[in-house]
Amino acid sequence: MNFELSEEQSLIREMVRDFAETEIAPSARERDEEERFDRALMFDRLAELGLTGIIFPEAYGGADADYISYAIAVEELSRVCASTGVTLSAHLSLGANPIYLFGSEEQKKEFLVPLATGEKLGAFGLTEPAAGSDAGGTKTTAVKDGNDWLINGTKIFITNGGDAETYVVFARTDRNAEKHHGISAFIIEKGTPGFSFGKKEQKLGIRSSPTLELVFEDCRVPAANLLGEEGSGFKVAMKTLDGGRIGIASQALGIAQGALDEAVAYAKERTQFNTPIANFQGVQFQLADMATQIEASRLLVYMAAYKASAGLSYSQSSAMAKLMASETAMKVTTQAVQILGGYGYTRDFPVERMMRDAKITEIYEGTSEIQRLVIGSSLTR
Amino acid sequence: MKALLVAEFRNGSLPGANSELIGFAEKIGAESSMFLVGEAGTLPPFARTLYLADAAIHGEYNPDTHKQLLLSVIKTVKPDMVVFSHSSYGWDLAPRIAYALKAAQISEVVDVVDGIPVVPVCNSKLRRQVQSKTEITVITLQAGAFGTAEEPTGSPSVETVTTESESGFSFGGYEEAEQGGVDLSKADVIVSGGRGIGQADNIAMIASLAQALGGEYGASRPVVDAEWAEHNRQVGTTGQNVSPKLYIACGISGAIQHLAGMKKSDFVIAVNTDKDAPIGEVADVLVVADLKLFVPALTEKIKAL
Amino acid sequence: MKILVCIKQVPDMESKFKIDAAGTWYDHADLAWRMNEYDEYGVEQAVRVKEQVGDADLTVLCIGPEKVKETMKKALAMGCDRGVHILEDNLSSREPYEIAAIIAEFAADKGFNLIFTGMQSQDRGSAQVGILVAEMLCIPSVSTIVEFSYNDGVVNVKRELEGGVKALVSVTAPALFTCQLGLNTPRYPTLPNIMKAKKKELLSIPSGELLKTEGRQQTEKMYFPEKAGGGLVLEGDVAELADQVIRILKEKTGVLA
Repeated sequence: MNFELSEEQSLIREMVRDFAETEIAPSARERDEEERFDRALMFDRLAELGLTGIIFPEAYGGADADYISYAIAVEELSRVCASTGVTLSAHLSLGANPIYLFGSEEQKKEFLVPLATGEKLGAFGLTEPAAGSDAGGTKTTAVKDGNDWLINGTKIFITNGGDAETYVVFARTDRNAEKHHGISAFIIEKGTPGFSFGKKEQKLGIRSSPTLELVFEDCRVPAANLLGEEGSGFKVAMKTLDGGRIGIASQALGIAQGALDEAVAYAKERTQFNTPIANFQGVQFQLADMATQIEASRLLVYMAAYKASAGLSYSQSSAMAKLMASETAMKVTTQAVQILGGYGYTRDFPVERMMRDAKITEIYEGTSEIQRLVIGSSLTR
Repeated sequence: MKALLVAEFRNGSLPGANSELIGFAEKIGAESSMFLVGEAGTLPPFARTLYLADAAIHGEYNPDTHKQLLLSVIKTVKPDMVVFSHSSYGWDLAPRIAYALKAAQISEVVDVVDGIPVVPVCNSKLRRQVQSKTEITVITLQAGAFGTAEEPTGSPSVETVTTESESGFSFGGYEEAEQGGVDLSKADVIVSGGRGIGQADNIAMIASLAQALGGEYGASRPVVDAEWAEHNRQVGTTGQNVSPKLYIACGISGAIQHLAGMKKSDFVIAVNTDKDAPIGEVADVLVVADLKLFVPALTEKIKAL
Repeated sequence: MKILVCIKQVPDMESKFKIDAAGTWYDHADLAWRMNEYDEYGVEQAVRVKEQVGDADLTVLCIGPEKVKETMKKALAMGCDRGVHILEDNLSSREPYEIAAIIAEFAADKGFNLIFTGMQSQDRGSAQVGILVAEMLCIPSVSTIVEFSYNDGVVNVKRELEGGVKALVSVTAPALFTCQLGLNTPRYPTLPNIMKAKKKELLSIPSGELLKTEGRQQTEKMYFPEKAGGGLVLEGDVAELADQVIRILKEKTGVLA
């Protein structure tokens, strides 16, 4: 067993950290306040650095790196800006990866390559007003009409929504099949007639990442855009989310690390009772717990990533990693605000943003409760 | 001990660091002479022999010919030390001389302790005492590290030197510094005003002290928020992080947001009426005074220097 | 066209330094290492020249223990074609003259048209190595460059002088340049290039094969500078305070020099 990063992984960390600190961090506060997605910075620059297709083979426009490199990239971006982290995670894990995993050769050439090279931004449309954790409850329909499918329904809480060009969308193709079996996945491009965007959500955190509604009204999609076999949509969704959890777990890990770094720097700086507060055992104990929980999360995240690259089964690992990392992020950011005291509660310091950003990691791509269900059922099956 | 001091001349004038060479020679008790590629009408105050080459003939930046000129003087003087300023002129010429003399070069000397030069390491976080193992040693001095007890005076007795050596360099003149556009991160001296300046008009006295010191003025957040200063002059977490050689904080109490932006300054002077203001914790010198009286007084005296 | 760029691996300057057991250098334990900042400008400039002329072969050279290869990988990922690692386990005991002699010995018969180094290292900071290499190779060198242009063997550069003034200088290749902050903005190594870097040639040579000279200086001891102290508090008459401050400025800072 080897816990050391490879030279390439270390270099990727150094590069993404330099980039994130130099280019992403300076505007993080402002973008959060203005709820502004800066595509040129938060996506196009990632594409120039080869980050938009990290895990895909070179033949599909990727960099042919492993999942650990991907986890490191999302972690380092999220350390300074969770919104940028989730932009990459949603694009790569949710938008591009299902096409890589389930697409035909033609679909990969047409849709995956521009996603991997970052020419296009990807997104994923699964959640509906009445189908959140219960994906089997999908109400959006796809009805065969000649050589096309007619899609009707609404998807909500779609990360990268509106700005993305390529969407993987789930719809019920067989009303009569058992609930998990009648769903299919489709690749739908922005601009397709009948596909429009609804309201933009105003959120507690990750405010620089756009979250929109997708609206389909008799949206005509060619049969060639069916992703995977008809009726296999539930499987496509679940496999995609297994990988997506590594992305969100990495995002949570990055948020937590960012908050710890801020708290440590502040504790060394802030003097009370004539000594830096870092010298107080009470503060040291808190920092120690934060660091230990983060390191434990990191090991789980990298292990899930390792398994994904090695072709091992990883859905239990990725659920554990996401559960642990997201709950750690919430705890650690809350403690960081506490350590910074009144300053921590203001927008002059980034920890209040980190605390707001952390909360979503316990909710999206499977709530903590769903992760426990995944883990629990894998134990008792 | 004999030291040959390598003075500098640029674009018609003498940079001030020449007197630091003399200060260094005084400190180590060396018998000194001086070398300069300059002009006969602009000589540094120095009461000993000056070997002068004409810049009009030999060029202001021409390492090849300057090297030959200096080597010929070294042959005459036979110094134990050849001393340069650690400047764009000194650090460029010194290694060429060291190589030709088969001499050790000790760069950016800040002090001499027990006869052994001390140099900074890792952005001045550490110090290192370095012993030369060669008969003749080349040294460059950190700017500001050595001064003279009194301003050097006197006129040198001039010996003219010349060379006919060829050069591989072609010097195309100077490009002056660009004006306008504030970049506090590049300023060597920053004088900042805080809430304690009291009113908008008083930013002018902060600016004139900064100007007298050849620096830029900055401000803390309350001053910028009150629109007494532009945002590009704000120092602190929501403004700029700065690391000048000298930071003078006037009427700034020292909120942690501000401290985070200026704590890397080499030397900090705080002017505040409150002796216990947190700025005192990072200040090397705390002047307890009303800045509206003290700042103009200091500015006048600096201008009069 | 052949280009050489010399880099050094240095500790992150934000690190907490400790003195080593011998008391002559900083302890290497628990430090984060990166490419010397000034050398990054050198690598970037070298890669730009290669991109400009097209047909160029760019070698990156680094002296130090095995772990410097990680920093060399970054240079390869930024666009250098091949690496030469000169294995030297006791780098801190090698003074600038010895380092320059190693590089010059390696470069002597290789016919490099352009050589780039940083203007100085962030740790030792001697600002000697580049110029010494050029003197040893008998080629012109220009230090502290902030602008560079290459045109058919002629190089026009701007040197940074004090007070924001720049000197314009031209030389003919082969020549060496030491690079200063402001020369360029080093690129990030892109992910695909990081992956490709591992396939590039990285030759290793023991320093003993190239070092044929002895050091000319040695470190007696290393220590922390005395802290400025808890701060001097000055009170009293305004005019006297101003005189005191001026005296302090003269003694402790270079600004009134």
